[in-house]
Amino acid sequence: MNTNQYDAIVIGGGHNGLVAAGYLARAGKKTLVLEKRYLVGGASVTEEVFPGFKFTVFSYVVSLFRPEIIRDLNLPAHGLTILPLESTLTPTYDGRDCLYRDGDHYQTLRNIARFSQRDADAYDEYARYMYFMAKAVRYILGVIPPDPTTFNPKDLKGLLDMARHFLGLSQDQLYVLAKLMTMSAADFVEQWFESEPLKATLSASGIIGTFLGPRSPGTAYVLLHHYMGEIDGAYRAWGFHKGGTGGLAQVLARAAEAQGAEIRCNAGVAQVLTKGGRTSGVVLENGDEIHAPLVLSSLDPKQTFLRLVDPNQLPDDLVGAVRRFQTLGSSGKVNLALDRAPELASRPGVGRHLAGAISMSPNLDYIERAYDDAKYGNFSREPYVDVIIPSMIDPDMAPPGKHVMSCFVQYAPYKLADGEWTDEKREAFGDAVVNVLERAFPDIRDIILHRQVLTPVDVERITGITQGNIFHGELNLSQLFFLRPAAGYAKYRTPIKGYYQCGSGTHPGGGIMGAPGRLGALEALKDAR
Amino acid sequence: MNDKFDAIVIGAGHNGLVAAATLAMAGKRVLVVEKRDVIGGAAATEEIFPGHHVDTGGADASLLQEEIIQRLNLQQHGLQFHEGPALLFAPQPDGRALTIWRDDARTAAEITRFSARDAAQWPAFRRQVERFAGMLREMLLLTPPDLAGLQRGDLMSWGPLALRIRRQGGEDMMELFRVLPMAVQAYLDEWFESDALKGALGGSAVTGTALGPRSGGTNLMFLYQNLGGLLNHRFITGGIGRLSESLAAVAKAHDATIRTGAGVEQILIENGAAVGVRLESGEEIRSRVVMSNADPRRTLFGMVGPQHLEPNVMRSVRNIIYRGTTARLNLAVNGLPAFAGQPNEEQLSGRIRLSPSLDYLERAYDASKYGRCSEHPYLEIFIPTIRDRSLITGPQAKNGHHILTATMQYAPYALREGGWPTAAEALTTTFLDALETIAPGIRRQIVHQRLTTPLDYECDYHLTEGSIYHGQMGLDQMLVMRPIPEWSRYETPIRNLYLCGAGAHPGGGITGAPGYNAARALLHS
Repeated sequence: MNTNQYDAIVIGGGHNGLVAAGYLARAGKKTLVLEKRYLVGGASVTEEVFPGFKFTVFSYVVSLFRPEIIRDLNLPAHGLTILPLESTLTPTYDGRDCLYRDGDHYQTLRNIARFSQRDADAYDEYARYMYFMAKAVRYILGVIPPDPTTFNPKDLKGLLDMARHFLGLSQDQLYVLAKLMTMSAADFVEQWFESEPLKATLSASGIIGTFLGPRSPGTAYVLLHHYMGEIDGAYRAWGFHKGGTGGLAQVLARAAEAQGAEIRCNAGVAQVLTKGGRTSGVVLENGDEIHAPLVLSSLDPKQTFLRLVDPNQLPDDLVGAVRRFQTLGSSGKVNLALDRAPELASRPGVGRHLAGAISMSPNLDYIERAYDDAKYGNFSREPYVDVIIPSMIDPDMAPPGKHVMSCFVQYAPYKLADGEWTDEKREAFGDAVVNVLERAFPDIRDIILHRQVLTPVDVERITGITQGNIFHGELNLSQLFFLRPAAGYAKYRTPIKGYYQCGSGTHPGGGIMGAPGRLGALEALKDAR
Repeated sequence: MNDKFDAIVIGAGHNGLVAAATLAMAGKRVLVVEKRDVIGGAAATEEIFPGHHVDTGGADASLLQEEIIQRLNLQQHGLQFHEGPALLFAPQPDGRALTIWRDDARTAAEITRFSARDAAQWPAFRRQVERFAGMLREMLLLTPPDLAGLQRGDLMSWGPLALRIRRQGGEDMMELFRVLPMAVQAYLDEWFESDALKGALGGSAVTGTALGPRSGGTNLMFLYQNLGGLLNHRFITGGIGRLSESLAAVAKAHDATIRTGAGVEQILIENGAAVGVRLESGEEIRSRVVMSNADPRRTLFGMVGPQHLEPNVMRSVRNIIYRGTTARLNLAVNGLPAFAGQPNEEQLSGRIRLSPSLDYLERAYDASKYGRCSEHPYLEIFIPTIRDRSLITGPQAKNGHHILTATMQYAPYALREGGWPTAAEALTTTFLDALETIAPGIRRQIVHQRLTTPLDYECDYHLTEGSIYHGQMGLDQMLVMRPIPEWSRYETPIRNLYLCGAGAHPGGGITGAPGYNAARALLHS
């Protein structure tokens, strides 16, 4: 038997590609995953960038990962270990005080009350509200987006099922949902709360990965998107995978291999082979041809449609839509190797409070101003930074006594007004982040051993994601559901027979969720039957 | 007999008058009570300077719905429209200017000076905007669907519309879904490259809102503003006040009574139902139904009172986003100002906009996010006297005076520092400085001037927070969410109290639609 002949090829060994491979192999397909880098994971990797220090280089937390995938691919048996991130700490602007929220409910309310009694009173109701809203919307994560414009019975049934689901909600929930889909995160949060650290930290979930500020309508949806996650049935719980997000990728790889899938690294795909409107496999960058009747791309839509195939063989409406698809990256990453545990000015000492998220979001204006810089083509002089210290959660991430710090930063626009990103600008961006950190962690500068700074351009260069957009494309109403990535092409299929999409550029979008990989594979299998 | 009137309409703004006229035509006994001494609300022409008759609020009647003009027979009551040949004149800081004409070929020639590519795109762009605006127009005169009714499968009015849009082709429908929630900047960037053109167009999308061109959903407002045709304007001979007067004439011809100087202090409520009003004078007047043209918060908090409202309704009303950001400078000048680009009178006959790029607009918006007025504001100017000399009367008529109304953004109602009466002087300077950039020397031509701040709009025109649309026209406050969820069908939590103003669907602008829809909703119930 020809060793270069498979039933299915998955392009890209990111988490969605691995999930797709798991499902294809589980259905008995002889499946091959092709990853251009030396390791699997895509943007979900852990790398020992400096000896002994393991960085969660890009994505750093999990929460959205779909429970049905954990079940179907039996992930616990392959080592799935999600450690909860139990707290969120927001330092004030000067770093001298902080708002600390953790699993101790009453203490959390007391902490909030120090900033606003009214906010403490509203906190439980807000949490309950979001829990129900997330639960109601979570339904769509498992749905193939129906096309509302055709009279195809399958689509009509899909629409009807969806209508039935949503109309089954109470009227009140339906309206809140409509508001959440259209409001700004700041307006939404301000309906409940008045104290700045709380408002800003909650709204920050609404801007992650987007090129929008917290006052821009549409960000409330992103906020909800981040609430849809669940870990062991608990909503809005962020988690850290043992070994970092790369640990999760390894689990997915083992699960796929256990189902019989084969994974090949250092195997970048140059082109998808097509003939007569049908795919027959791929050509690797080294010229090798590998054949399969099914090819799934977990890459972003621009790679999938404009690079891997010749756009000339695609319909104009699709090519136009994919070109218009908004993919401007807006976030960067700074990873630090630290000589010892950093200490907060507002909470000296080393303790559990360092094992959660530390959010540099002192007030709404702060984040909005960070956005103002970015929209005119500069990185934020005072960026929003979401910090975690993985080694406080999983000591294996750094040598004994030493630590690693992961800083997710917004905003760092892919395109700068004053020309290309350069090494100098990258370091200046890194300095801006350290300056912000320093207010909260006064000794941080003295304990930094190594620093890795990644701009969206670096994200693109290393992972291949177009313009370094962590969601493979903005999560806004114009690019969701049956419009993701393009009207008429939201059901994971492409105009080329046998060629499918299974990345975050498809419904339901980005985050370490696995849903696009699963749905894409299931659709491909449906047709192959 | 106790109930002398079938309906009392609070407020003689154009929507209140449309509602009154529609009800009166249907044989209802109607009383309109207006707090100000003039009718028209924000659609009034007032002699604010001797001999100069100025549209103090809205001026453009291009959104006024044809069905309403026909049904109320407005043209029989002296309503005359006129339109200039230029749609938009956009002077640039570099001294050039862009003119957009009604005539596509002329416009394309003009745009070519800025970008040949954009000129080629223009006709297709105009077709798409007008096609989508047409789809939206069909929703204007429909009462928003009742979500509870949907749950019962009641799709009486919206079902056929949905089908009609669907039949126009799936592609268009999907494109509308995609385009509506976009930021106007993203939409215009897909079509054009010229800053001058995009800036000039983008102004429509932020009018009356505390949003910038990069804010999600502003494209909906862009299409809404262009419901009457892309950048169209339609003036009324004698000023927009003539519209209000003809509406009043129709109402009176059907035996409605209109009282000015009659502000409402309280809506009388008995057993959870509105039964009339008490005027500020203390006079009580009873009616079967009360219809309020005042904005929702003013109606429910100011005239009904919290004791009659459920906490969830209280919360929703409190959460309505008003955020007035518009100020107005009305000028009488002793001659036509010398605009950059040396335009002729024809070029100045439509809208004149200072908005040289979307970034300019966005920066103007940035200031308002932090409670400051824009240093370099967006201006929209009309000079109605170019085509309508009847606006200047008496001895002033012959000396070549012009009226110039300039609307600026952003001047936030809620200033972080200082307050409105004191900030007004600085705002006037900002205003005039901005005008000088496109009409050098205009300061020396001013004979009279009057500034209207958002606080003035609130105090003198009774618009909550100076919001000219009775609540921001964002995606989150449209359709079933306008003015508040569950109460988008002109009814209110108080039985027999209806809303008929811009705070209700479809929203602001001189459309007549909220008044007309509310009256019909009442007549059908």
